[in-house]
Amino acid sequence: MSNDQFLTTRMFFREAVGRAVREEMEADDRVLVLGQDVGAFGGSYREFDGLFKIFGPERMRDTPVAEAAAVGIAAGAAAAGLRPLCVITYMDFLMIGFDALINYAAKLRYKSGGRLSAPLVVKTTAGAQGQGVAHSQCIEAWLISVPGLKVVAPSTPEDAYGLMKSALRSDGPVVYIDHKRLFPAPGNVPVAETVIPFGKAAIRRRGVDLTIVAHSYMVRVALETAGLLEAEDLSCEVVDLRSLAPMDVNTLCRSVERTGRLLTLEEGQVTCGIGTEVATRIFERIGVRPWIRVGALPAPVSSNPVLEAACVPNADRVAQAARTLAAR
Amino acid sequence: MIYQLSVPAAVPGVEEIRILEWHGEPGATFENGDLIVELETHKAVVEVRAGQSGVLRAILADAGDWREIGVRLALFSDSAADDMSAAEGDAGDLVVEFDVT
Repeated sequence: MSNDQFLTTRMFFREAVGRAVREEMEADDRVLVLGQDVGAFGGSYREFDGLFKIFGPERMRDTPVAEAAAVGIAAGAAAAGLRPLCVITYMDFLMIGFDALINYAAKLRYKSGGRLSAPLVVKTTAGAQGQGVAHSQCIEAWLISVPGLKVVAPSTPEDAYGLMKSALRSDGPVVYIDHKRLFPAPGNVPVAETVIPFGKAAIRRRGVDLTIVAHSYMVRVALETAGLLEAEDLSCEVVDLRSLAPMDVNTLCRSVERTGRLLTLEEGQVTCGIGTEVATRIFERIGVRPWIRVGALPAPVSSNPVLEAACVPNADRVAQAARTLAAR
Repeated sequence: MIYQLSVPAAVPGVEEIRILEWHGEPGATFENGDLIVELETHKAVVEVRAGQSGVLRAILADAGDWREIGVRLALFSDSAADDMSAAEGDAGDLVVEFDVT
């Protein structure tokens, strides 16, 4: 047996995304990319570096600053048989594309009695990093309530690679969410071509006293918290959702049954948030357990770095919540 | 005297860089302003230039390797005759300038 399946290569987050897109474009002529600066510039985060040279302007299409039009064109192209990857640089501006995404793409298969589908991927970037009220939001919780829409949010380059490949092979509309603060950190990605299926959470750290469920950049905050609390003999299990819709309720339930306590952590708002959905799904199945939810304060994310840091969760805040939870 | 070049914290948020290209082999002489090495972050290339003259004595990370901020990348000395046996201990930091592009 070859050892190739265990070999990894270290790369930046953007390179993992770019590799997935390149491989899927090579394998399937119907895959194309459209969005702002995706062409010769190589993507707002340089995630498409080199692809314009390989695939040209027909398949790496620059669009104007018109997100509603970009998502609309992508939805139409998907209905007509292409497999577009539509790139929305900031998740805040995906709001402008909601009509095409939610009213058309997500409902197309149902509405057409299964005759049509919209294999469209919207790739977007969430999270606070000094850019203020309308360039910082995490609105994935709004999306997971839409029937027909799949939503994934990787926390590592390996998952970015594997989930993007799954997204581009999926037959329904998918929203794939990166986070600005994840981009500086490299990670190991399998050398062999691999696909990570949707609906599979990953346990990032084993623990016995409580379970922290997070996704995207907050997985790093959860791991930092677990490190802090280890010194206080509080043992945290950290579960990375990876896929928000569908959600891996089995893995979540098994973890909370073991630890007996749940802390949900997200960078977005807690009201009707991902954490609330996580807790509800778990407690519906195994009964209620002690639970605390941590997320952004109910305020816009300021471009003032002091106010931004005060608004979004950090390890100290999560640790404080975990101590409270452990005492219950 | 012996000097070290370590990975600079040149771009905010970056914990680890990849070495893109060295501009000289061990034994090469550098003048103030000469390009020594290019480092790659997630969004920029950091050009590290000599801020003092000297001789490159040892390269400790090859192109394509990853190194965390603060890790030693290379050793320098004032002249090719300087004894390198002291380099295991505390070498002073080489004076450098960065261009982030």
